[in-house]
Amino acid sequence: MEERRASKRCGGVLPFIIGFLATCVLGWAVIPGLFFDKVEQPVWFSHAVHVDGQGMDCESCHYFRDDGSYAGFPTNEVCAECHAVDPEEAMEAIAEAGIDPSDYDAIMKAEIGAIEDNLASGDDDMMAAEREYVVKYLIQGKEVPWLNYQFQPDNVYFSHAAHKDMTIEDMAELKKELSDVVDPSVFEAEEFPEQNCNLCHMKDIHLNDVPPAFQRNILSGYSKMTMKMWKCERCHALKGQPNACYTCHK
Amino acid sequence: MSVARRAFIQMSVGATVGILFTPTVWVALDDVSIWTQNWPWIPRLKYGEVKSVPTVSKMCDSGCAVKVRTCAGEAFAVAGNEDNPLSGGGVCPLCANSAQVKNSPNRIKTPMLNGEEISWDKAKEVVAEKLDAAGSSVAVISGDQNGTVNEVFSALLADKGSDAFYMMPCDMQAADKAWTGLMGGYGQIGYDLEGADVVLLAGADALESWGPTVANLKAFAANGSGKFLFAGPMQTKTAAVADKWVPVPAEGMAAFTLGVAYYVLQAGMTVDVADFAPFRAMVMNDYSPAKVEAATGVKADRMAAIAKQLLAASNPVVVPGGSVAAHGAAFALNLLLGGAMKAVPEFGKAVSTAMSRSEMLNKDILEGVNADLLFVYEANPAYALPEQVKAGFTVAFDSVNTETTASADLVLPTLHGFERFDDLASPYGVADATYSLGVPVSKPSVNAACAATFVLGLADLGFETFEEVLEAKAEAVGADMDALAEGGAYVAPGETPVAAGLAANVLGKAAVPVKGSGALGLVPYTLLNVGTANRATTPNAPCTISNNQLLGDKMVVMMNSATAKQLGVGVGSKVKLSGGNGECEALVQVFEGVLTGAVAAPLGMGHTVGDEFSKGKGDNVYKILTVSSEAAAGASTWAGSTVNVAKI
Repeated sequence: MEERRASKRCGGVLPFIIGFLATCVLGWAVIPGLFFDKVEQPVWFSHAVHVDGQGMDCESCHYFRDDGSYAGFPTNEVCAECHAVDPEEAMEAIAEAGIDPSDYDAIMKAEIGAIEDNLASGDDDMMAAEREYVVKYLIQGKEVPWLNYQFQPDNVYFSHAAHKDMTIEDMAELKKELSDVVDPSVFEAEEFPEQNCNLCHMKDIHLNDVPPAFQRNILSGYSKMTMKMWKCERCHALKGQPNACYTCHK
Repeated sequence: MSVARRAFIQMSVGATVGILFTPTVWVALDDVSIWTQNWPWIPRLKYGEVKSVPTVSKMCDSGCAVKVRTCAGEAFAVAGNEDNPLSGGGVCPLCANSAQVKNSPNRIKTPMLNGEEISWDKAKEVVAEKLDAAGSSVAVISGDQNGTVNEVFSALLADKGSDAFYMMPCDMQAADKAWTGLMGGYGQIGYDLEGADVVLLAGADALESWGPTVANLKAFAANGSGKFLFAGPMQTKTAAVADKWVPVPAEGMAAFTLGVAYYVLQAGMTVDVADFAPFRAMVMNDYSPAKVEAATGVKADRMAAIAKQLLAASNPVVVPGGSVAAHGAAFALNLLLGGAMKAVPEFGKAVSTAMSRSEMLNKDILEGVNADLLFVYEANPAYALPEQVKAGFTVAFDSVNTETTASADLVLPTLHGFERFDDLASPYGVADATYSLGVPVSKPSVNAACAATFVLGLADLGFETFEEVLEAKAEAVGADMDALAEGGAYVAPGETPVAAGLAANVLGKAAVPVKGSGALGLVPYTLLNVGTANRATTPNAPCTISNNQLLGDKMVVMMNSATAKQLGVGVGSKVKLSGGNGECEALVQVFEGVLTGAVAAPLGMGHTVGDEFSKGKGDNVYKILTVSSEAAAGASTWAGSTVNVAKI
């Protein structure tokens, strides 16, 4: 009899509520963060240094090619227009110094003239980053494996050219409907920027000095910022654009 | 205890319900669904600038001028080059898949000495030692018919006191032996297929596998008013689109051509050469239509009708294929008609001690090769000529594994055509002297090197690299290297052919049809999507090979219903073909476009080394070809091969 009473007392809704609340808190506040690894970019690249410091604009590196395709990340060929280290000359100098060309630390420590004399940075930290880029990638003939915050898988065809004429001002009319798709603060500026990059990319990335870590989903490998299909579809629907599979999946 | 357990269960239920009110489960499900789309073995795309870069491809015998589609500097596809007259925007089936071959796992990845990986320095040491030991007993077999790489190899031979330069068997060789050797002509014979009003393709499968196939197709398309006649033992794809197909056995082609010449001579046509009278007498006496009909089975009235068309034309041309005699007869007929046959002058040499093209074509590989040291350059004699080639030590240069590299002592991986400098000088058949340059469009993907540059390191031939040789070649040609690198071709017009004679004595004897002792005539034919003597079919091509060539892994041979009835076989019958010193197995297909008493078999299958697309597919018809001597012409030929066919 006593046992049954005790059971009734402890078997109320309290354990249920405790469990419910605990997982709610975990599910909203803790677990989502566990889905992502933070990965740093291969070398420090400061947009601020290039844009503010050197007066470059977005199109200096991220431009449309003659055939209308989008260049995306700049290649070594583009970077070498300013970072004018001659790979052949540098490699010859490395060989003359008896250093293994794949021993990056040794090359950076050796302060090879063919490299050091052509570094463009003024400050030590920036020069270290530039040196790292030159030694690890430029003179090795390897492209930098930049991590794309807006990574889309191979089965998605996204054309920058098809989206280049959209303006933030026009899209601001749909800011309520797009509140889950576009960072709402993008629509809050007093004056909208000429380019529409902020609609999909990290807001004001051109002012960024230290690139944020790339948050890689531990299951899918995608970026945390990868735009999911429903977001694409919502915007297409709102703008009266087709949402057929073949629109994006060629 | 039971209280705690109940509370635990209730809390668990609460937790389970609670988690459903968070995004965790739904996001995790979404992520898992994405995870299932990204297996590690799914190939990843390469992103970067997509370009269309002009160069040349040497997969086919003639070579193609192409534009290679690259993404971030990696070749991924091939298209024609509309700026180059050899292509006109077209590309052959072999070269169309050259990018896939470049990226194939069948590439040779590093130098190999008797199956062991070695360095390039070690390879050079080994070859230099063998070269010293061999003295003048050095030979070269080249699978490249029109590249300056042959100048480098032949100059090496000259440096060693050898003249043993061999080309793989080709119509260009038969043409040169007839034109330069027998008739004392100058230059390389070419045919203006676009400008001709009547074209008699006497054995030349011009729209499928003969000569510059792509340029031929373009010429055929552009020549809307011209009449194309095809003579041969089988209704090939060329014959299928020609205005008329005249069934003529391969061994009877020379006699058939002289039979046509009979009517042309009868019409009073002449050539201003010393032996015209004996030639006329020989044709009128020995190759009268009745005699030719008796020897070849071709009706006299058919020859008369063809001769009538040729005589009525203002710019006719006869394009031969097959034996030296067939070529000689066709050249004589062209000289009588005075039409669209051209003499294409040879470009100047880059390497002064190199052989001329005609000298390179002089040695007959069908008569056999035997040397202490043999260099094989992008050729596959172990597949196509297994019995003719013997060597103390074989160095095989190739970009992919073949029967020849498998049996060679030293295998040296060459850069793929899209990774190296190369050139294409007047492929046999073009009407004008044409020079095109190939430049690297992609970085080397394996530890390969340029074969010519390697050879230049073995002897002092005046150049350090092949690129320097090609600069000298462009200068000798009179072309601008930069303009060539942009994909255009340097073109010098072909000239009116002039011969010293018509080789009356030789042709009279050599044109007599000689057939083997087998029960059926063998009609070997080449389709570029199936492969050539040097190149196996390519990764994308097998799906284009029809059931008339390959069914499953079985080769298909074709014969007409009369022949099939005679043999007691039908469609799908399994047969064994015996000829030469070998045997082949095949399935039968009945096709009325094959001469009665003959069986048509596709060349290029039955590889024992290679990739999944070629290895073990069909059988090797080269095994059953019979080499017969054209004694009068001083040459050898496969024409007249016969086989015995048994049902199994």
